[in-house]
Amino acid sequence: MIVLKEIIYLLRKEILLEWRQKYAISGILLYVLSTVFVVYTSFKKVEPNAWNTLFWIIILFASVNAIAKSFVQENSSRQLYYYSLANPTAIILSKIIYNSGLLLFLSFLSFIVFALVAGNPVKDNFHFFAALFLGSIGFSITFTFISAISAKANNSATLMAILSFPIIIPIILTLIKLSANALRLMQDTAVWKDIATLLAIDLILITMTFILFPFLWKD
Amino acid sequence: MRKNWWKALGVVILIYTYTAGLLIPLKPGILSVNPSNLNSGEEVTLTVIGYNTFFTKTESELRAWIKLDNEHAISATKIELVNDTKAHVSFNIPSNLPTEDKVTDASLVIDNDQDGAMVLPSKLTIKKTIDVNPNAEGWTNAPITDLNRKTGFSFPFRGILYETIRNTYFHVCLWFAMIILLITSVVHSFKYLRNFRMEDDQKSMSFTMVGTLFGMLGIITGSIWAKDTWGTYWTWEEVKLNMTAIALLIYLAYFVLRSSFDDYEKRARIAAVYNIFAFAALIPLIFVIPRLTDSLHPGNGGNPAMGGEDLDNTMRMVFYPAIIGWTLVGVWISQIVFRIQRLKEKIMEF
Amino acid sequence: MKKAKIFLQFILFFFCSNLIAQTENPDFARSIGKIYVVVAVIVAIFIGIIAFLIYLDRKLTKLENQINNK
Repeated sequence: MIVLKEIIYLLRKEILLEWRQKYAISGILLYVLSTVFVVYTSFKKVEPNAWNTLFWIIILFASVNAIAKSFVQENSSRQLYYYSLANPTAIILSKIIYNSGLLLFLSFLSFIVFALVAGNPVKDNFHFFAALFLGSIGFSITFTFISAISAKANNSATLMAILSFPIIIPIILTLIKLSANALRLMQDTAVWKDIATLLAIDLILITMTFILFPFLWKD
Repeated sequence: MRKNWWKALGVVILIYTYTAGLLIPLKPGILSVNPSNLNSGEEVTLTVIGYNTFFTKTESELRAWIKLDNEHAISATKIELVNDTKAHVSFNIPSNLPTEDKVTDASLVIDNDQDGAMVLPSKLTIKKTIDVNPNAEGWTNAPITDLNRKTGFSFPFRGILYETIRNTYFHVCLWFAMIILLITSVVHSFKYLRNFRMEDDQKSMSFTMVGTLFGMLGIITGSIWAKDTWGTYWTWEEVKLNMTAIALLIYLAYFVLRSSFDDYEKRARIAAVYNIFAFAALIPLIFVIPRLTDSLHPGNGGNPAMGGEDLDNTMRMVFYPAIIGWTLVGVWISQIVFRIQRLKEKIMEF
Repeated sequence: MKKAKIFLQFILFFFCSNLIAQTENPDFARSIGKIYVVVAVIVAIFIGIIAFLIYLDRKLTKLENQINNK
């Protein structure tokens, strides 16, 4: 119960922090818009196959950029303050929940912008948005944890990408396949297996995060 | 010496696998047959090229069949031996084939007491020139009987693969050894997070380094083999190959991560955390990639594979020791890396 | 950073050995039941292990120098 209360407090803090420094969130939004526009101007006409891949690549890079800052933005003395106050599980969980929400918002926005600019080839909305939802959660868990790791290292910006991209590959491969199904680019009857795989990956990652984060946090 | 017996064992096993893997011959087999497109109702002479065969050194006559399916076969009318690996085999193909299809795949079966039975599966195609009732007269079946068996040690003869089947001992076992080393490394990372002893971190790092080395060797040798067998260096739909590639990316990133710390204690802790997290994230790939598409790799879609026919008992006698041998030698190398690392950190402390 | 650099060197090195194995005349590589593919694989493993040994050797030499200088 205490953990739950802590999570709510920390979540409120995250949102407040985001609200106070609006440049971060508006920067990410602008990033999504300009990426979509660059992709559109260089492709002109986007085939469904390319649409699928490009969409997830845009989401991938937007997510890395959005989450990379989550442990860097607060200086070490403030982190020490949190450490003395809150449970590490509450800290990582609140960050993951907050980042999941942020990524969900971001990916919906990218979808809308991308669909407006390059057309909307999605045929099966349920599967597509299920993929979007599960993908956002998986991205948020992985990137939040890796950003915690890379914040401990010195050159965190590059490190964030090289540490997280190999780990994200299983998730993004499954996501691309799921949404290829939703775009009717391929026919697969066992879509539920893919969704189960994504759920299982998210579960594995969140379990590992709970086990490992306390070791990362203490300094 | 008593403490180091396993190193000697590893080397002895590797010497055994290399000698056995290179010296044991392939089973005799049929390399090619010409012509391969036949028509019904014609008399045809096939030139058969054998591999590792001893056509002229046998006591019994060479026998040959064209096998249409499990029940129907045509027997050879005349056989003329040119030398040990070349023979002219004549067939009188009846005009009335017991099949429904216009074009039939057929296999060539050759048998003698020296080489045992050899099959060239589905290489021949027989076209029906005249359409006759499949149940009509004019067809005499020549059942394939009394096939001989090759005795002694030999590896299976497979089309496309031929001698490269030996790469199973040199390439595939590296992958297994890599996985074993990486798992050991993760175990040491867990140990470090439990006890915070620097030795565990150094061990974990050394196992990772040798595992990465084996992974690289596995990828290089794999792509040499793949280029020759499938005609591409790389296939994206393949589990082992892609898992190794992603593992390499992860562990190269691991070394970059390690190199970005100055403080040993902090480096050890964070490297251990990343090692465990990355390994856990790697495991789902085993289930993810096979679901993407059909694969070229052994075991999928009729490709030469492990298990079943392709890894027969003789191969197992070399393959399993090869895994053990490479693992032992890998542990040995990682111990050397570990000792160097320990020495280095000791010197740095002064 | 240094270690990453050496690993990159390894990769380049391996790719070179791979290319050498591939530039052989394809008919030659396919002669005698493709035995030269097996040879190429064994040579690649050998080169890899030797390269790693050289890397370890250099690392050890550096440590020895450090000890002697103290």
